[in-house]
Amino acid sequence: MERHFELELEKLKKRVLKMGNLVAMQIHLTMVALVTCDVEAAAEIIETDNAVDELDVKIDKLCQRIFALTQPVATDLRLIMASLKINNDLERMGDHAVDIAKKIEGLADYKDVLVELQIGELAELTDTLVKDVMSIMNTRNLSFIRDIYSDAAVIRKKVQIISEKIIELMTQKSDVLAVATSLMIILTQIERIAGYSFNIAESIYFVVEGKMVKHEKGFWDQSETTP
Amino acid sequence: MKEIKIKTKDLTLYYGSKMALNSISVEIPQNQVTALIGPSGCGKSTFLRTLNRMNDLIPNVRITGEVLVDNFNIYDKNVDSVNLRKKVGMVFQKSNPFAKSIFENVAYGPRINGVNDKKKLTEIVETSLQRAAIWDEVKDRMHDSALGLSGGQQQRLCIARTMAVDPEIILMDEPASALDPISTSKIEELIFNLKENYTIIIVTHNMQQAARVSDHTAFFYMGELVEFGKTKKIFTVPVKKQTEDYITGRFG
Repeated sequence: MERHFELELEKLKKRVLKMGNLVAMQIHLTMVALVTCDVEAAAEIIETDNAVDELDVKIDKLCQRIFALTQPVATDLRLIMASLKINNDLERMGDHAVDIAKKIEGLADYKDVLVELQIGELAELTDTLVKDVMSIMNTRNLSFIRDIYSDAAVIRKKVQIISEKIIELMTQKSDVLAVATSLMIILTQIERIAGYSFNIAESIYFVVEGKMVKHEKGFWDQSETTP
Repeated sequence: MKEIKIKTKDLTLYYGSKMALNSISVEIPQNQVTALIGPSGCGKSTFLRTLNRMNDLIPNVRITGEVLVDNFNIYDKNVDSVNLRKKVGMVFQKSNPFAKSIFENVAYGPRINGVNDKKKLTEIVETSLQRAAIWDEVKDRMHDSALGLSGGQQQRLCIARTMAVDPEIILMDEPASALDPISTSKIEELIFNLKENYTIIIVTHNMQQAARVSDHTAFFYMGELVEFGKTKKIFTVPVKKQTEDYITGRFG
């Protein structure tokens, strides 16, 4: 009975990690395709969405089964609650990657605009952030969690700066209106990916430390405790 | 913050040379349900029985330390254990109705305590059965034998019998362990509602039951109180690893 329960939890951990790796790969390929305006790669990314959706449902069902059959408590309860939330966040991140991929075709003629706006740098930051979050998911080593908070903040700031540049560009060149609108949407998607990434880091913190700190304003800025 | 109804100080109990409770100090709040959990032989039932001096009946028991009920040491020489047990009632794992009518089962306690007025007795019986949430099921057969009731009904009858002598504290030793899920659910609902008028301490092996019915949980292991705290905390973020291992089934 006990071993069976352990096996179910192990299965859950593996599935969530698999989901994480799948989405991290989706985002990596999306960021590369965004910078290179690789339309073929973008099409492949869109294809991977089904696998993410399937795994999303599998994880939800596994959590439902564990809740119904084992009434988990304490650390097990936190793990399952966090798995559900992380799964949801990952699925949303995957959707945003696909939404970005769908817009890449329209950017192909504007590589110079992408360079001018430093989209490449933002893409690299986003890719690194997601990889770092996956690393925390894998190791549960919380010592980098504040770095992730800072990196997500840097991305938010960069998105804001680029958005302002785009608005400026729109006022100067009327022929970039369509691509500028697409880029504004892509920036929003990237900002959300960064937000979901930090949500995942907070969920891991909840599993390990047993403290729910979401929406606690200033917690990661001010907390003296080393997570 | 609820007032403290029971306080133990360095309570230690030996069965012969075997120490069964090791220096237990705990404060049990009034009008709350406190669950005692832990593996078999951990001392939780022994601890429960110290609260109304049921262990006095066992030979070779030696107790040191104090058990204060309303700040009064129940192990004081002058305490009459019969009076104490009126104040601190007990419900056992196996329902044990007398081979008498439903009415007589409940009327027995008040009667031996000197209540002989039939009207008064009827009133006490009815109130007790209502509080034990069994009145509607038995009101039309009050003079039938209690042994004809189902296991769950018998247990609620025993709870009514306990309440008939107007206790302030009710001790329950695995009161639902021999019952089906529907009867268990009725007992749990009853426990939850009774805390308005009584302080309840329940021993249970059923973790989910402890989580569902209690406000506070005490985890015992090898005669020691490992952790005591709010149930919602014990079952989400316990402080001690031993507690965590026990409630998640990873013990040993």
